[in-house]
Amino acid sequence: MTALPGRFNDGRTAASRQVTVTPGTNGLDIRGEDGLMVAFWKTADLRADGELPDGAGVRLRCAADPDARLSLAQAEFIRPLLPKPPRFPWLKLAGTFAGALGVLAALWLGIPAGARALAIMVPSAWEKGWGDTLADELERRWGTCRQPAGDAALQLLAARLGAGIAPDLHLNRLVVVRRTENNALALPGGSVLVFSGLLAQAESSDELAGVLAHEFTHLRLRHPTVAMIRAAGIGMAVMLVTGDASGLAASGAAMAMAGAYSRDDESAADAGAVTLLTQAGIGTQGLAAFFRRLDDGPPGLTGWLSTHPDSRARAQAVETQGGERQAPAATRPALEPEQWAAIKGICGQ
Amino acid sequence: MPEHLSPTRHGARHGERPFAHVAGTGSMLRLALLNFLLNVLTLSLWRFWAKTRVRRLLWSGTAAWGDHAEYTGRGGELFLGFVVVMVSVFMPILVALTAAQMAVEAGNPWGNAFVLLIQAVAVFLAFAGLYRARRYQLSRTLWRGIRAGQDGEAWRYGLMVLGCGLVNVLSLGWTWPWTEMTLARYRLGNTRFGDERFVCTARARGLYRRFAVMWGVAALVLCLPLVTVLGLYLSGDGILESAEPALLFIIGLLLAGGVVLVLALPYAWYRAAVLRQLVAATRFAGTTFHLDARTAPLLRLGLGNWLIGVLSLGILRPWAALREFRFVCANLSADCEPDWSSVRQSAAAAPRLGEGLAAVFDGAGEF
Repeated sequence: MTALPGRFNDGRTAASRQVTVTPGTNGLDIRGEDGLMVAFWKTADLRADGELPDGAGVRLRCAADPDARLSLAQAEFIRPLLPKPPRFPWLKLAGTFAGALGVLAALWLGIPAGARALAIMVPSAWEKGWGDTLADELERRWGTCRQPAGDAALQLLAARLGAGIAPDLHLNRLVVVRRTENNALALPGGSVLVFSGLLAQAESSDELAGVLAHEFTHLRLRHPTVAMIRAAGIGMAVMLVTGDASGLAASGAAMAMAGAYSRDDESAADAGAVTLLTQAGIGTQGLAAFFRRLDDGPPGLTGWLSTHPDSRARAQAVETQGGERQAPAATRPALEPEQWAAIKGICGQ
Repeated sequence: MPEHLSPTRHGARHGERPFAHVAGTGSMLRLALLNFLLNVLTLSLWRFWAKTRVRRLLWSGTAAWGDHAEYTGRGGELFLGFVVVMVSVFMPILVALTAAQMAVEAGNPWGNAFVLLIQAVAVFLAFAGLYRARRYQLSRTLWRGIRAGQDGEAWRYGLMVLGCGLVNVLSLGWTWPWTEMTLARYRLGNTRFGDERFVCTARARGLYRRFAVMWGVAALVLCLPLVTVLGLYLSGDGILESAEPALLFIIGLLLAGGVVLVLALPYAWYRAAVLRQLVAATRFAGTTFHLDARTAPLLRLGLGNWLIGVLSLGILRPWAALREFRFVCANLSADCEPDWSSVRQSAAAAPRLGEGLAAVFDGAGEF
């Protein structure tokens, strides 16, 4: 077989020498320009160290002398002698893929439980501090509605609803803010903001009572704090896996996960609201009517991304649960007409 | 026989260019796209192996005095390094930072001090991590079967960077050339190939004319928009409050792009001088080097790479890295060939795990 020109490095110094390489049946016979043997690399010991990019040749190693290198520009005669290059690691790839799914599943199940456990450990003074900071900011931005008669009626309704869960409720702020949306907000540390839009659209005091019962249940279960910790946990987990805090896909996934957890919270708060309303002797019809009026369009693809379950399903669930507990005849309205009127007019319209 | 595999010629002429890069753009683009696909499939966990493959192509495409460099790092090392740092360093810091921020929200007076302290620790770790990443990369860099390496202490480098940052803030940036050269001297002076150290005596002298121009332009360019916005805000017309947020966003984006474009020219002018001076003051085994870094090609390289990164959302960054390797190989020359037979394999230990700190805190070694 023909002798091929090559370059040899002995792996002890960085010197490079010109050699001729003769491939034989047992291995490569490597000789210097003077014809003296430099090394003999057995075929079994040969390692393909890598094709140099874009056809620049091939570099060989030898198991018996791991630091030495042999580079050949013309590798056609050598390639058949070499062990097959490692195949693309599909198995490893499938492994990482499965591992990634496993990590994701563990996080999916572990994050809500962990957040609940952590929320219990948060000092209530901290919780109140965050809630107050947030609520002060929102009140400043949106503006509040305050009138003595309306406030008194609100407190009255809150006391009637909260009687059953007073030790766990810690309600320390119940304020109407100027927002046109039909909504209300529970914040960590016992703050509830009722939007003026909700008061304007509500047709009876029972609807307001239903919404307050829902928000109070959020507070009793410490949902706002749990949600904050959960969001931090999701962010941390996504960062753990992707190593990137600013990834678009990562934050999208985090939002979808947060939405799914929050839908569970909403269902729990609906169920708790039914209990509160029943204990207070207020009908659940108001809450059901409120959900029926919430028009959030046809349920569809966006369902699993939204933070709240489908309103019609919620109304139905409330009616079913409420109907089992109490006959409508046994209830009385949440507020007297003049108290309701005071709350309705709290923003001065 | 291709030119780069031609026999070694001892005593090469002054100004000889012994470096060449042979990897084609096509190979790199194919690799980058494949890596992107696999990253999507594995929720980005492939990135450690992706980085390794890109480096292997970059290194093995680099030829010096006729022989190609070699990258022997493994994706698994990077992955393990990342996991170790994530669990033992990053998680505790993140928990501490979250607790500190909660304390701030809750009105605790010590909260802000804690946040600052933790941020300083994070910056320190990021730069110490960069140094460790360099140590890892060099220990996996071989040429003619001889391993490169890096001595020096990562924690010392991290503290140096913190100190330099502080000095730069206090001097409004005017110590930057000096701090830059000081850090570079530490990095390069501790770089080894085999048992032979590089020697770096680079100084900031001679850089200040270009730096002053860059500083002036930067001050102007950065101050004008700030003053405008501040003026609009203080004039109380409510222009900023009433404007469409989307419009403000687009204007902000255009402004940021404009700042980059205007600053790019003086920056490239300054950077060309820094690179030339740094390379000229670096010796290896008696050989001195020269980098023919000119402003216009440097500007093309920088802006082009910036565009590649931005327009491909980072997917084609390996291509940008390839362009950098090509630039250096095409413009670096040596006054003579070192006596390679006196450069021996080093027995110094190499790190076992890869660049975890840098991967976590900085995303270093993007390619």
